[in-house]
Amino acid sequence: MKTIELVIDGKKVQAEEGATILEVARENGIYIPTLCHDDQLQPAGTCRMCMVEISNNGRKKLVASCVYEVEENLVVKTDSEKIRKIRRMIVELLWPTVPALAKEFGVDKSRFVPEHTECCLCGLCVRYCAEVKKLNAVYFKGRGIDREIAFVPELADECVYCRECFNLCVGGLIVNQCGSVYS
Amino acid sequence: MIKLNSPHDLEILRESIVSKRDPNRTCVTVCSGTGCLAYGSHDIFREFRLEIEKQRLGEEVDLRRTGCHGFCGRGPLIVIFPEKICYLGAQKEDVADIVSKTIVDKELVDRLLYKDFETGEQITRIDDIPFYKYQKRILLDNNALIDPEKIDDYIAIGGYSAIAKVLFEWNRDDLIKEIKEANLRGRGGGGFPMGVKWETTRNVPVDPKYVIVNADEGDPGAYMDRSLLEGNPHCVLEGLIIGAYAVGSQEGFIYVRDEYPLALENTKIAIETAREYGLLGENILGSGFDFEITIHRGAGAFVSGESSALMNAVEGRVGEPRPKYIHTSVKGLWDRPTCLNNVETWANVPFIVNKGADWFKSIGTENSKGTKIFSLVGKINNTGLVEVPMGTTLREIVYHIGGGIPNAKKFKAVQTGGPSGGVLPEDMLDIPVDFDALTEAGSMMGSGGMIVMDENTCMVDTARYYIEFLAHESCGKCIPCREGLRQMLRILNSITRGVGKEGDIELLEELGEMMQEASLCALGKTAPNPVLSTIRHFRDEYEAHINEARCPAGVCKELIIYHINPEDCLRCGLCEKNCPTNAISKDEDEVYVINQESCIKCGSCMSVCPEKANAIVVENAFRPPFANDLPKTDVAATTIYST
Amino acid sequence: MDTQGEIVSQSPYQGPGITDVVVIDDEESICEGCRQTLETGGYRSEIARDGIQGLKLVEQSHPRVVLVDLKMQGMNGMEVLTKLSEFDPSIVSIVITGYGSIDSAVETMKIGASDFLTKPFTPEKLLESVNRGMELSQSAREKRVTEGTAQPLRVPEKAPLNKQNVLLNGLEVLGQYYSLGLKERQFFSELKYLESEAEHHAERLGRVEEKEKTVLDIVHDLRLVDNIIQGYGYKKNVLIQILMDIQAELNWLPSHTLKWVSMRLNIPYANIYSIVNFYNVFNLEPRGDHIIEICMGTACHVRGAAGLMERVSSLLGVQPGETDSEMLFTLKSVRCMGCCALAPVMKIDEQYNSNPKVSDLKKRFDNYMGKEESS
Repeated sequence: MKTIELVIDGKKVQAEEGATILEVARENGIYIPTLCHDDQLQPAGTCRMCMVEISNNGRKKLVASCVYEVEENLVVKTDSEKIRKIRRMIVELLWPTVPALAKEFGVDKSRFVPEHTECCLCGLCVRYCAEVKKLNAVYFKGRGIDREIAFVPELADECVYCRECFNLCVGGLIVNQCGSVYS
Repeated sequence: MIKLNSPHDLEILRESIVSKRDPNRTCVTVCSGTGCLAYGSHDIFREFRLEIEKQRLGEEVDLRRTGCHGFCGRGPLIVIFPEKICYLGAQKEDVADIVSKTIVDKELVDRLLYKDFETGEQITRIDDIPFYKYQKRILLDNNALIDPEKIDDYIAIGGYSAIAKVLFEWNRDDLIKEIKEANLRGRGGGGFPMGVKWETTRNVPVDPKYVIVNADEGDPGAYMDRSLLEGNPHCVLEGLIIGAYAVGSQEGFIYVRDEYPLALENTKIAIETAREYGLLGENILGSGFDFEITIHRGAGAFVSGESSALMNAVEGRVGEPRPKYIHTSVKGLWDRPTCLNNVETWANVPFIVNKGADWFKSIGTENSKGTKIFSLVGKINNTGLVEVPMGTTLREIVYHIGGGIPNAKKFKAVQTGGPSGGVLPEDMLDIPVDFDALTEAGSMMGSGGMIVMDENTCMVDTARYYIEFLAHESCGKCIPCREGLRQMLRILNSITRGVGKEGDIELLEELGEMMQEASLCALGKTAPNPVLSTIRHFRDEYEAHINEARCPAGVCKELIIYHINPEDCLRCGLCEKNCPTNAISKDEDEVYVINQESCIKCGSCMSVCPEKANAIVVENAFRPPFANDLPKTDVAATTIYST
Repeated sequence: MDTQGEIVSQSPYQGPGITDVVVIDDEESICEGCRQTLETGGYRSEIARDGIQGLKLVEQSHPRVVLVDLKMQGMNGMEVLTKLSEFDPSIVSIVITGYGSIDSAVETMKIGASDFLTKPFTPEKLLESVNRGMELSQSAREKRVTEGTAQPLRVPEKAPLNKQNVLLNGLEVLGQYYSLGLKERQFFSELKYLESEAEHHAERLGRVEEKEKTVLDIVHDLRLVDNIIQGYGYKKNVLIQILMDIQAELNWLPSHTLKWVSMRLNIPYANIYSIVNFYNVFNLEPRGDHIIEICMGTACHVRGAAGLMERVSSLLGVQPGETDSEMLFTLKSVRCMGCCALAPVMKIDEQYNSNPKVSDLKKRFDNYMGKEESS
């Protein structure tokens, strides 16, 4: 496998071809915040918390580091005023469903009126159930702003109450809903 | 039908079809696009057939159903060849007259001719009507000449000769070079050069490769692709087959919206007949090249027009975009190299092959070549499909071709690029329409929707409309787009209800910039455009809504009331009859009044009030912010507009 | 890199349960070659490098055809074949081997292999064999049904039409389908599911007096679904087309049909639910006899589509997206019909109307209501 050299936050690092920026950064002890990422799952690229600034041949752009594969001579900046602004805005938009990230970014209130208080729709439960458990008991229902997490209508069949998704749940919806069904 | 086994067979067939047709013979063509069908053109066609039979003219007159002619605002359209006499808005009852007067006696039926808005002058020939005169119709022209269900009609006008040329005279490199040289840019929105796409797909050393026609024309207010596919499906097929040959693909898909039943039907027929003729399937024209096309019906999702989302849908999955940074021309359908373009782009291909890149390059501007079809709709006199060379100014399109704004209203803005585009106000009317100029002006080419707005269109409401559309039509997968649209819609809703707050405009701008940077796909990245561009050009309207709870255009229904002027009222009672909630009644003085409590502000009364009276006016409800419970009728009202 | 025993080369977009073919072979080049060839043939495939992983994969994704290498390290091909036929006899297995002797061929045929590929084989040969395998798998499933006491999804004409009989009959058929591939627990819950579905519909529709009829209807629906799926050759990527065809026949998508599609195509129910909830076209509620659509395209919007919607909505007493209690009208907003010249436009049952007047609409709706009452 080919080895690629790139620079992350001024640090020269080596990586295998096909690795993502996020993976390489973490291997090298460089922190990038994430929400919808989990090592057991295929990257989804949906939360956009992991946006970083890359430049290659002088062209700068923002990309989601969890799905962007490393390239030779890539220069990555994992933090900047612009990136912080985006991350703060995302946390503000998700308020109050992502308490840990809110604390990290010093967001203690939001200028927006929240519509969900338990679910940030990160999709970790859906993907875990499909990719790891291969049960597909939870799914995304609807689209656009109507999107929500839902159980397959005949819940009892697909769900085996392994409760493994409880640990992944950021906002607590799964714990509350599934927990009540379980009891 | 015997399969055509060589270009020679095709030529012989063409000659035999053409030899049976006399160009001087009278031919009545009736437009059968969806627009004209809705006006009853099917009945007209039937009536013509009966009438021609009745007058025993079958020997001398041809009758043909054709694709969309484009002048949809004045349908149903009838064009009589070879003189090209054009009749507009004919009804079933007019058919007998047309046959006996025009066809038999060679006289005109004056009442059905086009009359100029200003001079009142009558125009006989279709090409002389301003709507057509100022256009350069290359793609659309053939629509009017052929019956989309008949492959022979297409072959008669030289159809499928480009395939013969490509398969037997050119090699793949020549072909890609020619398309690159022509600099044909994608007509679906992004404007990416098609030749470059072909080359990328072709050079990926992976097989199989796929080609796709994107006919999921989701832009509300745009219907160019529908018309092309309905009116001339073979042209699109021919383009696709050529592209497949160029990139080395043997399987293609046409993704058609289910909302376009006629386009679906005609495409299906076209594929079947092309296959019968040996122009599709195995060993096309005896060249050894095999290619198959499958139709995939779209189930109704704007976001599925995005290339990777569309590919997901074809694979039988939820049509949401993929979070990948690898282009679909490298890794597309089933992770294979896939070349996707929209209907109009594919339709250009046979023309470039037949006439050459130099011819194509001679039309248009520096970086935008060829013609572009726009659907000119909204508050415009001549609604329809307009094909112009790139670089034509908006003013020419709106005023020369479109004939300006109806009812002597004032022009306010023109919106291009659909939900991803922006509005362009009066002072930008002189910019030329090409990819770069429109993007620079803060809008975009998009697929070619062009919606004209007059002084009675509220720009805040327009922004709210687009955001509402996107909020429900986006996939909802990534947070910036989904949550950004949710909050934008919330803020815009409150502004249009007169309860907007100071700082809302700035918050919208901040949100919009974040969405442009952080969203996953092109839909999300361009979603804030309608808001940002209306704020940029019409900030005062936003401020009027927020600071004074006033809708200057008189549209936002929480901020207006309808009122009947007793002096102008003719007491005809039409409004009473047409009120869905029975909110209109006579008072003791025999004057009609609107009961504001039960009025739902649907505008029905206003649209039926006779023109000479114009008694119904829209007034400011004059409701100060945060005072929802103030009785609306008690405050002094100011008139915003009457019909 | 040692990938022995790993499930490799799973395409990232390939969700679980949409696999047609599983390839079990310890040679990477063969696996990859098969995968690519199968893809050109329109089949989704997954790959395993040894017998144990292979069987796990089969259990997870219920393929129709399995390609097995006879000589592998660990569990060999013969053992895999035996386990396969125990697990689900309707899965067709095709043996790949370098030793193309008659003996081993006969041996594998005895324990259930249906075909034989001698290395090296051409892509054409592979596809030919898999195509045949697919057909076999289908007929194997159907055969098991027809050989049983019940006809496939058909109610015997002479049996008295009471709920008990109809249910039993339909469920028996279901059961036979199920015993082919599903675990016992699921099998019984499906039976229960169909029954509850029948009762649910009988109550909700209100129009149907006898529950038996509802069950009959359901059995009829399931047969229809079967025909449609068959017409598409059991391909999974045409799922959306299949759903659209079902809706075209039934006017909406009852949940038993969705369940059935999920079972017949081996696609997780959740995936089907995501799809029907994602696209506008699909209706999960029954619709009225007359469909009234109002275009919300931009051209219509600037010419007053919102007002038109208000009018129609208040005349019918139905909100957009809803159906009236008499099941006469369904009011729908459509994103754009592409007939912008008629703006604002309303479509009643395929007929386009440009800005209809309230007085005309009143007459028309009354007419529909009157007609329905008298008939």
